[in-house]
Amino acid sequence: MFETHRALSVLQKLARVNWLVIVLVLLLAGTGVATLYSVAGGSFEPWAQRHAVRCAAGVAVLLGCALVPVKVWMQAAVPVYLAALALLAAVPLIGSEAMGAKRWLSLGGTTIQPSEFMKVALVLVLARFYAALPAASVSRLRWVGVPLALMAVPIVLTLKQPDLGTAMLFAGLGLGMMFLAGVSVWYFAAGLVGVLAVLPQVGAHLHDYQRKRIEIFLDPASDPLGAGYHITQAKIALGAGGLNGQGYLKGTQNQLDFVPEKMTDFIFAMIGEEWGFTGACMVLGLFALLIGTLFVMAFGSRQGFSRLVIAGAALSVSIYVLINVGMVTGLVPVVGVPLPLISYGGTAMLGMMVALGLAMSAYVHEGQR
Amino acid sequence: MIKRLLPRRAVGLAARGLAARGFARPSGVAIRGGGLVIRDGDQEEREAAVSFRRRGLLIGLAHAAAFGALGSRLYQLQVLEAVEIAGQALDNRTRIIPTAPMRGRIVDAAGNVLAANREVFRILVIPEPGGDLRDLRPLLGRLAPMVGLSHEDQERLFAKARGQARHIPLLVSEGVTFEQVAALQLRASDLPGVRAETIWVRSYPAREREAHSMAHIVGYVGAVDRRALDDDPILRLADARVGKAGVEAGMETELRGVGGQVQIEVDARSRFVRRVSETAPLAGRDVRLTVDTKLQMQVMDRLARDGRPGACVVLDCVTGEVRVMASTPTFDAGRLSGVQSKAAWQAVASNPDKPLLNRAIAGQYPPGSTFKMVTALAGLEAGLLTVKEKIECWGDVTIAGHVFRCWNRKGHITSDLHKALRESCDCYFYEVARRVGMEAIAVKARELGLGQTYDAGISQQKAGLIPTPGWKRNRSKTGWLLGETVMAGIGQGYVLATPLQLAVMTARIATGRAVTPTLVARPEGDPDPQFATMAIAPAALEAVRKAMVGVVNEPGGTGQAADIDDGEMVIAGKTGTSQVSRASADRDRSTALDLKQRDHALFVAFLPAGKPRYAVAVVLEHAGGGGTMAGPLVRDVVAMLVEGDKHLARTEVPLAGDGPVVGEGAGKRAEVR
Repeated sequence: MFETHRALSVLQKLARVNWLVIVLVLLLAGTGVATLYSVAGGSFEPWAQRHAVRCAAGVAVLLGCALVPVKVWMQAAVPVYLAALALLAAVPLIGSEAMGAKRWLSLGGTTIQPSEFMKVALVLVLARFYAALPAASVSRLRWVGVPLALMAVPIVLTLKQPDLGTAMLFAGLGLGMMFLAGVSVWYFAAGLVGVLAVLPQVGAHLHDYQRKRIEIFLDPASDPLGAGYHITQAKIALGAGGLNGQGYLKGTQNQLDFVPEKMTDFIFAMIGEEWGFTGACMVLGLFALLIGTLFVMAFGSRQGFSRLVIAGAALSVSIYVLINVGMVTGLVPVVGVPLPLISYGGTAMLGMMVALGLAMSAYVHEGQR
Repeated sequence: MIKRLLPRRAVGLAARGLAARGFARPSGVAIRGGGLVIRDGDQEEREAAVSFRRRGLLIGLAHAAAFGALGSRLYQLQVLEAVEIAGQALDNRTRIIPTAPMRGRIVDAAGNVLAANREVFRILVIPEPGGDLRDLRPLLGRLAPMVGLSHEDQERLFAKARGQARHIPLLVSEGVTFEQVAALQLRASDLPGVRAETIWVRSYPAREREAHSMAHIVGYVGAVDRRALDDDPILRLADARVGKAGVEAGMETELRGVGGQVQIEVDARSRFVRRVSETAPLAGRDVRLTVDTKLQMQVMDRLARDGRPGACVVLDCVTGEVRVMASTPTFDAGRLSGVQSKAAWQAVASNPDKPLLNRAIAGQYPPGSTFKMVTALAGLEAGLLTVKEKIECWGDVTIAGHVFRCWNRKGHITSDLHKALRESCDCYFYEVARRVGMEAIAVKARELGLGQTYDAGISQQKAGLIPTPGWKRNRSKTGWLLGETVMAGIGQGYVLATPLQLAVMTARIATGRAVTPTLVARPEGDPDPQFATMAIAPAALEAVRKAMVGVVNEPGGTGQAADIDDGEMVIAGKTGTSQVSRASADRDRSTALDLKQRDHALFVAFLPAGKPRYAVAVVLEHAGGGGTMAGPLVRDVVAMLVEGDKHLARTEVPLAGDGPVVGEGAGKRAEVR
């Protein structure tokens, strides 16, 4: 079972798919559909229906990716990374602007967010890098520099958009994968010291809106109707939910438009209001279960590339969830990060499904050479 | 190697330690992973797998901690602080809109409505969200024939719409008829955004003459000037009106009522969602005046006949109720609040006779000789004067090096209190004032009601002025001069009083009680107010009253023109001719060429002298001598009072006690008796 050189049939591959992951994905995306239905005031238009379609298409993409042999993904890693880099670099040149930031590319009538593809590409390229690197060389200085450079280029490009949230995701994702790949903790310790040392300088170079967000995060009451509005309103919505929630379709704070971006970045406030503490914890539990399942899948893999691809998918879920929920609950500053699978948004959904599909491919093709 | 092992060992130990404590998921994985690695056999790969597992566990722990933190944060927000936050949530989605209460009416003593509320239709254009301003011009064009808009009106409205925020409704026309509104409704589909609404506006429904005669008392309403945050929220409504003058302002609190509120649910863009609850406003109280329009109108007409700006106040001495408060010239409150209010305002405001000024409460005049009772009572009270004491008068008197003249250049030879008041001898009161001093005079003046305003239900009262040495020290470098006390003794100099104050003074002298005036009638069935007896010796008051009877009824009395020649009714009074300018001091001031330099004519009176019921105060600006000019006015007013109050004559009782010889007036007293 673990070492067979015979290629698997499609049915065999489907049998080997971790269906718990698919169930969790469907549960989370279904939560998204239900919540978007409520956001629209009890209507499938304009969001819930499209979210459901995207979810179905996304699961198909996930399974499609899972059927592709993992070694194909390994070979495609560098070209995919370069392509994602090219798209990301193209954004400032030909991208379209929304809400004061250029993050989108228009391609054939649809808009895509290259940073979502970069997320997948970064996981692939880092996994590919460590798969090629002998374990003994992982902590060599020059081999620490390469993944850092692979991370740094997209981070700089996304910071230019400006998109602090995605840049933080890239950084967290890359560093997490480096840690899992076995890079000596001394580098992390030194890096932490270095970051603390340069933090004041970074603060001086932040965009005004970024600095303001941090200031407002520290004291949301200072600007209750301006930029602090998001935070305050989200907290009020959560508080209005209480232990058991206002009931489905009855969340007044969200229904009444008080929570901005309620179908995208602040959708968790909607869930928290309608389903209460219980519902919010259940959603968090689903995410924890998904992340845990992915880690279990990663632990079960003997191949460095597979382990890191699965772990990368787990990390990209968990980092988004932690930042998003932390932001909605006022624990971290407001950065534009969606709640995976639940927030409305095609590219984010597709990116997440592809990432999970790659992880599933690694899982399905475990032992295949 | 050591470099790599050290941290790994530490991490592994920590992970194992935690796994041993029962972290189910990590420990299960560790066992399964371990099995895999051993079977592989490749050293380097096995080490990498072990490293990955250890580090994965660490990341798993970090995740557990992070999810735990999120969970506890949610617990804090949704369970621990939920009640507090839920309150904010309620505030968040509900808006409270104050609703205006119906303003109370003002009715006269007979129940005639003087101020009420009228329903007015008006036409607004509510801009459609995202609507185009260019659509407004044709819309106004279609509206024009229906509500009567000229081309200029349309241009003005278009310019106004262009100049204001897009979402603000445009007031097209106010005061349209019901028929016009009905016509608009029929063509509603053709007139998008056009809305008719009704508002209540203040109206003064009395017919012209009545309205004119009551205008100063009733006052008027106007837009709110300044709003403080703690003010009544209904004042922030766009159409809010508050009393600006008269009883409208003086009784504002009662008239306004209590605002209601409509609680509506709105979304974050403040769009109306639904009505949550409604508290009906509490209409303002109706205010019934003590003034009867009929009598007031008679007095106003009589006052106007003299052609001089002036005022007349009639007080009920027993209840303090103001029966008449006339002030000429007057104005038309209805016109001031109407559509052409601006032009009417300008006309009224630029009139040199100041029609808006209610002279009865805001006209401040030197009281002149009407103040002499105050000086006399101050002297008697201080023990520096007796009723019988005679003081010489040779036409003038020199005090502190200054010559003070009596109005009568020939002098009064010698006068006791009675004669001095009856003939209004200035020298007598110069001397009394000199003896008593300003402080004592001021105390007596205040005791008699001068130098203060009253809670009479009417706004814009002036306090007049009762000067004291301390008052002068505060506003001038030079100290108080004895000459100023002397001048104050005859109601000149700095002393100022309003007709209402003079009526109060007269009522207090007449009754010996601290009468306070009011324009607002007591609720039906309430007993008459019992005013406190003043701490003035009854004998002193009686002497002054008898002298005031003499003013009107005895030969030599300066106020004989006020006698109504009605055997039953004895009037007591005091004339006053108050000097306006020093320059005219030596001329015949009553006929001075410059009208503004002529003296004011004053007269105060009470009646019936034996059992005072009414106190009257009259001022005619620049009319000349009080006795000759104001006397006949008082006579006519008294005749109206007697005419209107048949009960008055029957309640007549003789003067208490025997007074000094009353001369020819004795015949009348005999009849009274």
